[in-house]
Amino acid sequence: MSYAEPTRKQRWLAGAAVLIVAALLAVELFFPESPVSEIVRIVDANYVRSVLRLAVPIAFAALGGIFAEKSGVINIGLEGLLIISAFTSIAVAGTISGGNPTQLELWVGFFAAVLTSVLFALLFAVVCIEFKADQIIAGLAVWLIALGLAPFASKVIWGQVNSPPVATLNNFNLGFIEMNPPVVMMLLSVPAAWWALNRTAFGRWIEASGENPKALDTVGVDVRKVRYSGVLLSGFFSGLGGAGLALGRVGQFIGGGATMVNGRGWIGITAYLFGNYNPIGAFGASFLFASLDALQIRLQQLGYSIPSELIGIIPYVTVIVVLAFVGRTRIPDAAGDHYESGEE
Amino acid sequence: MSDSSDAPDASDGGSGDESWQTRADRALGRLVDASAAERILISFAALGLSVVVGAVIVLVSGWVATCDSPFFAMAGVGSFCYDPIAVYRVMLVGAAWPPYNFAITLKETTLLLFTGLSVAVAFRAGMFNIGTQGQLLLGALGTALSVLWVAPFVPAGVVGGVLLIAVGLLVGGLVGGLWGALPGALKAYADANEVITTIMLNFVATGIAFTLVSEVFKDPESQTVQTRAIPSFAQLQAVFFDSTVFSMFALVGALALVGGVYWMLNGTSFGFDLRTSGVQPEAAEYGGVDSKQMMVSSMAVSGALAGFGGAVYVLMVASRWQTGIPSLGFDGITVSILAGNNPLGVVPAALLFGALKTGSLAIEFQLAVPKQLVGVLRGLIILFIAMPEFFRMVGARFSFGDDQQTVATDGGEATATAGETADGAATPADEPTDGTTGGNEGGDER
Repeated sequence: MSYAEPTRKQRWLAGAAVLIVAALLAVELFFPESPVSEIVRIVDANYVRSVLRLAVPIAFAALGGIFAEKSGVINIGLEGLLIISAFTSIAVAGTISGGNPTQLELWVGFFAAVLTSVLFALLFAVVCIEFKADQIIAGLAVWLIALGLAPFASKVIWGQVNSPPVATLNNFNLGFIEMNPPVVMMLLSVPAAWWALNRTAFGRWIEASGENPKALDTVGVDVRKVRYSGVLLSGFFSGLGGAGLALGRVGQFIGGGATMVNGRGWIGITAYLFGNYNPIGAFGASFLFASLDALQIRLQQLGYSIPSELIGIIPYVTVIVVLAFVGRTRIPDAAGDHYESGEE
Repeated sequence: MSDSSDAPDASDGGSGDESWQTRADRALGRLVDASAAERILISFAALGLSVVVGAVIVLVSGWVATCDSPFFAMAGVGSFCYDPIAVYRVMLVGAAWPPYNFAITLKETTLLLFTGLSVAVAFRAGMFNIGTQGQLLLGALGTALSVLWVAPFVPAGVVGGVLLIAVGLLVGGLVGGLWGALPGALKAYADANEVITTIMLNFVATGIAFTLVSEVFKDPESQTVQTRAIPSFAQLQAVFFDSTVFSMFALVGALALVGGVYWMLNGTSFGFDLRTSGVQPEAAEYGGVDSKQMMVSSMAVSGALAGFGGAVYVLMVASRWQTGIPSLGFDGITVSILAGNNPLGVVPAALLFGALKTGSLAIEFQLAVPKQLVGVLRGLIILFIAMPEFFRMVGARFSFGDDQQTVATDGGEATATAGETADGAATPADEPTDGTTGGNEGGDER
């Protein structure tokens, strides 16, 4: 079926992107002194590395969202799950070490955060599946609870909404290249998620649970269990994303305003809608949004006098433009609907 | 297991190409459809449950926190710093006493009336407006700038003040309305999901406002990013309490707006079209409503209400635009959901939330319990209201009728003919969906 096939609009967008890149390279080639060239020259190995690091929370949120929504449960609480895991990772690593965590303690914090995120996802799943809550409003609630709970707990623990800084995870040395651990996990998770969805029985169940739960029920697979696993996976991936953001890059929990997650969960949702529920497409979209973010940071470093806040809105504007262009993606047929098995 | 003959037909007939937003709309429809009595019960139950869960959170956080004099300590368990009952008592008392606190409560209530109404109007039209915060923020900026711009041309004093306040409100509402119309238009003409676009537009609004103020309109004498202060005669004056943050005029105006919105929804043909396109879009289309136009105009009205909120924030509270505007927009979501999206219900819900916010300052001040607790309660209330089924199950367990058959609650959709909606709209309480309620609450309505 044409499920993972790109739509016409997406092909059009991809074509436009290729044209823009080609034009920029031409400018670089023929007008090496122009400011455009200076921007083009930003793109190097370091830039790609920082893009990958910035993509971590977005891509993981997107992977999680795909599993949940494909199984029939729309999880718009991803932003909240990122906040919870970012907070928990720092809180646990900081608390067990007394403020100066070792690498091992950082990893303990990392996995505690993933576990906490999964528990929150379980709560969301129970509310949606057992108590038939409205998924959109329950997801909104998960976000708002996290938005209140993390700064609240920060104040209880540290007396302020921001944590003191801690160390970040050491890079993995892969022999030929050193890489940020959450980035490595992301680069492994994307193909793994694709494989699980497209090449395994579990993937077929997930797909059926979101498309035609009745049929899945008829062949003897428990729709509830499939949906629970879809939502729990969204918690698992969001946990990796939030902990990866906090311990892999920032080394602190920042709870003021929209918190350090700052809308990345929402961008993750847009990324998977843009990628049409395909993990690889979603990763591509996450990479695109992260590269804008990285560009913004670089432009500031280069001293362009564009106000940082204004450049900071570029990813969000892009999301809106992309949504308006790509618009309607075909969502799983039964997503958002409750399903009750015949046996009661 | 395979005997699924009586499984409810969860997937509704025929619409294989339904989009994410259509589903969200339908979910909204369900929410709007629940009967008034049932919804009041659910709101109270959700409130009660949030208080209980909130108490547990207070206990646990008191166990985590360290303090000199815990209210309760037990060997082997540890010490508890915060007493939940004291927390709630201080919260409630602190909201009303001393009088200055009561003024703050009324100030919060006034502002929440605007944002609550804003969210409620959008909800009624079948739109999730999560962007109230951004609309309020830009409305506030519009108000501050327009008042500062016009001020030199009007005489100081009462006449000038009235003129400036009128200009400020007008511009605030206009800016908020335009910013609100944007996601409406994006949804109507580009099919972009308004949940996502309104959230994104919040971030965009924050960035634009910050940049505009820091680059162009910054108060040269200030270190922080803020505009110059509006002249004092342009501020809404206090009548009671001698308060610098609360004006009776604003509260009366907000209450009048509640009446106005109620009348608009229930007494005008625009309101009728708005509600029908929210509950039953197909029927509204059949009845000649241009649903695209309705999306844009309902979001514009919603944004304008948020913009008024921003204007009042500037005219009454801050007297300038500055960074760090409180999250009135997100609180408005809770207020509206708690009020069952009914404009009249927004009044007690806003009062309750206004009291909670003032009370949260009191608990931080008196008991050192972080005021962010209110944010947690806000989320919990929404979570519990999202699951009426939970309360129905509990209700069924403790009352006579245990014959509760909870099948898909969206059965009403099939009966959408133009004639029926005309009836249904007159008395929204008797939607066919409520036949499934069974349990205790259902008794009231038949």
